[in-house]
Parts: sequence; C-alpha cells; structure tokens
Amino acid sequence: MIAQRATRLQFAVVTLVLLLAHFYLRPRLWDSRVAPDFLMVAFAALALRGSPGLGAFAGFLIGLASDALTPARMGAAALAYTVIGYLAAWARAVFFADNLLVYGAFLAVAVIARDAIVLLASGTTGGAFASALLVQAPLQGLTTAVAGVAVLVMLRGWFGIRLDA
Amino acid sequence: MPRVADRPGTRRDTWLAVACLGCSVALLFAPARWGLTVAALLRGSVLRPVALLQENAAQGRTSRSRLRAIVAERDSAAIAAQFLPALRDENRRLRQLLALRERVGPGVVPAEVLHQPLPTDGRTLLLSAGRAAGVTPLAPVVSPDGLLGVVTEVDEATSVAMTWGHPDFRASAVTADGRMLGVVAAAASSGSPAAELEFRALSYRDTIPEGTPVITAGLGGVYPRGVPIGVIAGIAREQEGWERVYRLRPAALPGIVPHALVLAAMVRDTVPAGAFGTGALPPVPFAEPEPARRIASPAARPDSARRRPRTQPDTAAARPRPPAAPARPDTTRRAPAPARDTAADPAPPPPSPPPPTDSAGPRP
Repeated sequence: MIAQRATRLQFAVVTLVLLLAHFYLRPRLWDSRVAPDFLMVAFAALALRGSPGLGAFAGFLIGLASDALTPARMGAAALAYTVIGYLAAWARAVFFADNLLVYGAFLAVAVIARDAIVLLASGTTGGAFASALLVQAPLQGLTTAVAGVAVLVMLRGWFGIRLDA
Repeated sequence: MPRVADRPGTRRDTWLAVACLGCSVALLFAPARWGLTVAALLRGSVLRPVALLQENAAQGRTSRSRLRAIVAERDSAAIAAQFLPALRDENRRLRQLLALRERVGPGVVPAEVLHQPLPTDGRTLLLSAGRAAGVTPLAPVVSPDGLLGVVTEVDEATSVAMTWGHPDFRASAVTADGRMLGVVAAAASSGSPAAELEFRALSYRDTIPEGTPVITAGLGGVYPRGVPIGVIAGIAREQEGWERVYRLRPAALPGIVPHALVLAAMVRDTVPAGAFGTGALPPVPFAEPEPARRIASPAARPDSARRRPRTQPDTAAARPRPPAAPARPDTTRRAPAPARDTAADPAPPPPSPPPPTDSAGPRP
C-alpha cells in the first residue's frame, strides 16, 4: 500500500513537471507548431497506466482545457482526447507491448490522430487539412515521441510503466 | 506495482467513456456562445495560472531570441524619431491653420501570443492582455507586419482573437492605390494552402497585378484604414464572368507571430503610414472609392479615362462653393471634399487636404 501510494505521488510529481514543461518550457522552444507536446506525453502516460474509463475522463478534461485555450471550435479537442484516451488504455490492456519504440510510436500516432480529429471536427478540409495533417502533425508527433521517450527513459521508475527495451 | 487495466473494458469504464464522448459532442454542436462561455469560465479560473505561466515563458523567449531584431528596430526608430519634433511642430501649425482638433494619442495594448499545440491555433489566438489592460471586444489585432484579426472574447487577464485564418473572418479591404475595394476572407478550402487569403467581391472587369499591396479599407468600423493585409498573389477563381477572386499572400502569419498589438478605440480611425513593416507600402490616398475609379487601368477603358478630366471641372464649376466651416472635425472621410471644390477656384490653391493618415507620423 505504501509503495503504491509512493508510486502515485511520484507519478503526480512527473505529471506536474510535464505540465510545467508544456506551459513554461515549450513556448521557449522553436516554432510552436512543431514543438513537443508535453501535455500529450503526460496524458499518454496516464492513459496507458489506467483503465479505459479513466483514460477517457482524463482525455475529456485535458481536451476541455485545450479547447478553452484554443477556442476555434469548442469540444473538438475534448472529443479527440477522449477517443485517444479510451483507445490508448484499451489497446494497452489488449495488445500493447512494453517497449520504448512502441511507446514512442504511440505518442506520434496519438498526436496525428488528435490533430486529424480536431481538424475534422472544426470543419477544416482541403488544402488546409492536408497541410496540417501531412506536414505539421507528423513533425509535432515526431518531436513529441522523442521528448516522450527521453522523459520515459529518465523517469521510467516514476512513471509506473513497465518497459522491456 | 502500478495498476494497469487488466480488463479492457468494464461496464463502468464504458459508461464513463460514453458520458465523456456525449459531453464532447454536445459541446461541439452546442451554440457557439455556450462554448465560448465555458471557455471563458475555464480561462478565468483553473487555467489562469497556466496562462500566466505561459505568458512569462513567451516574454522570456521574446526577450532573448528577438533581442537583435528589437535592437535593430529601435535604432531605425531612433533615426526616424530625429525628424519627429519638426514634423510635430509643422503638424501643430497646420492643424491650427485648418482649425483641426488635437489628435488623440495612440492607444495600443501590447500582448504576448500564447500559442497552443492544437492545429487550429492559427484560427484563434490567446493573447496575454485582457480587460485589465484595456482590451475590448472587436478591437483590431495587428502585428508589426500587418493585420492579424480581431478580439472576440475578453477575460480579465487574457483575450481571444479571431485571426484571418478563421472561416468567419471578413474585412473590408482596398488596394494600396485606393482603386479596388473588396472583402478579404480566409481562402476557401479547395486546394489552397493554409496560409492564404482571398480578396473577393471584385468585379470581373477589374484586374489587379500581382504584388499589389492590399490594406484595410476602414469601412465597417472595426479595422482602421491602412493596416497591411497582404499582397496579391494571383487569381484564385472567376465566377461566371461576374466576380473575380484573387489570392492574397498574407502580411502577418498568426501561427508563428510571437506578440501582437491590440489597437484601442482611439486609433481605429487611421493608422500612420509606415507604421507597419519596413514602410514598403506607399502612402494611401484617402479618396472615397468611386465606381468610376475602380477601373483597372486607363488603357483598358480609354474613353472613361479621357472623359474624367473634362467633366470634373465642369461639375465643380456648376456647384457653388460652400462657406468654409469654422471648425472641421477630424474625420478622414471628409478629406476629399475641399480638394474637389477647389478645382474650379481660380485663386491660389489652399494647402493640400489633410492626408488620410495623421500627419504626425513620418511621411515622405
């Protein structure tokens, strides 16, 4: 029980650090359209760690916050994060391998899937949709995957996620 | 040992996910006003520390990475400011001669742009200045390069601007020479790149060469006249010989702009020439766009071009000259009137009408 509580506390600390990185470190990095999304890293860690319901609920809250900060179409990010959170937790329980590469790939795919859902839900089509989904989303997914894997390697014990490689 | 979901979906998880999905979809299809209210509540409460944190970070980034550019701009401004006292003095004397009121000082609220990772970030921008700093709804948002958008939501410490990338954005615009008047909107989705605008509502007979600067027209009461929007990049489409739509390369890119300026109500009338960019745009004549002047080139319509100089003096001569008003309000729309009336006056011409923008600004 004590060990579990300590792990939860560690995970909360890591989440807080990632939130700080997202809102304080990320604006200092390069172009914000391709800078790593630390919020997605924290969200993925939470979704992979918990149940599908928890993943969906956490996704809804994070998406709501994202919508409030980017109110182009309210509800688009909430829908995207909810779907990704549920699917991430479900996939983890069914067939996810505990592997660094898989975790990185999951982060990249999650970023691209989120962008696709947000763009579709906000009514973006045609060239703007293609440009955002084929250029910016993969770049942001790549940087997010690299950042997520780096964070996971440094703090894998605190994350509470088993990794083989 | 961490708790990992062993069963992929219990009944409770499913219901929770369905409830979250339902709330998301409800928010998506709810009236926009409700969603914006929820967003404003969140930004003003739980997300306020986050916005402050990001504002500090954005300021830190700006102060470091853009230091060299800021120093260069400051040097240029210092050189330009050397001529300012003489211009101010001249402006004051001219205003006294014309019995104009003193111009109200500029009201500009600087704000950091708090970019978010979502792909729709370029459509709306979260600004670090809100009601406490004097930001009001429908205040124009510009960058040193040109127009960004308009403020739609104002909180206590932050505000949300709808940029030109938003599908609902519209702005009345005019070419820099004042000939063509139209409406600028975000590019239609059919194959256009993301960062592009359209210059619409132009008659089919008009042609605008590529590279022509387009600025705000000042009609509608939201955007001041003279803010650069972009340059013509070609013809986007033609609609059945009736309307021609031009592609417009934007002057300012909302997706990457680090900070913005919110124009307060005081300066919405005009924007000083040379206030944006490197001063590449020529001074804007402040004549009201007349239908006869919207013709693309005199060569295209030689008869109209020839007829105009002949008719104008006649018309002016037939009209009695109104007595000079003792005090003329400082509105830009009335500027052309004295110029037209004095065309038939054999007396030495009075001083040229006040320029469209306030002469306090550096003008060549």
